[in-house]
Amino acid sequence: MKNNLKIERAIKNITQEELAKLIGVSRQTINAMEKNKYVPSTVLSLKIARLFNKKVEELFFLEKKD
Amino acid sequence: MKTRFLLPHKYKNFGWLFLIPSTIFGLFVFFTNYEPEFLKLPMFTFISQGMPLSNDGVVFFSTIKTNITNELAGVFFLLSAMMVAFSKAKNEDEFISKVRLESLVWATFFHFGILLIGMLFVFNLEFFTFMIFNMFTLLILFIFKFHLALYKIKKL
Repeated sequence: MKNNLKIERAIKNITQEELAKLIGVSRQTINAMEKNKYVPSTVLSLKIARLFNKKVEELFFLEKKD
Repeated sequence: MKTRFLLPHKYKNFGWLFLIPSTIFGLFVFFTNYEPEFLKLPMFTFISQGMPLSNDGVVFFSTIKTNITNELAGVFFLLSAMMVAFSKAKNEDEFISKVRLESLVWATFFHFGILLIGMLFVFNLEFFTFMIFNMFTLLILFIFKFHLALYKIKKL
């Protein structure tokens, strides 16, 4: 699964640390997601989507191998 | 995040504080056979027998007089290691939980791998000595792997 968290974060102009605080996870979790090393849970994805005011599908994308 | 079976974070530092002296004490007791006289005490036992590995009869639920230095070292080490291993990380979230699980699987693999090798290649009384250490390898490997992983992701 891919995502465009990094882009959305840049648009909103917030750091990994700030985003982490806003949704209640560690900075490392944001970092791992942006590097495609961690696939977030549904709850976390929904929280991120709500924060960016987007649909989950606009933030996360399935890849061929999924 | 809601977590099951984990202690609050404050126990982690407490665990580290005791883990180091208890490791030193445990190794010291093991290698020197240090057994001070005042620790020879009557102990209630579930199962006991005259001499280890002898053919003396097995006795259930009796009280025996024995030196408890070994036991103290073991209990001291186990409790502190468990506190370090199973206290929440400072920011335990779903990603950290995944890292925790993966580290536990890794540690379990190696722990039983070592046991397998020991079963095949270590014999007689040396196997008994080997087993004493093998009792603790799961916890030691897990603590090592988990904290190494946490350290690595912290640096990212």
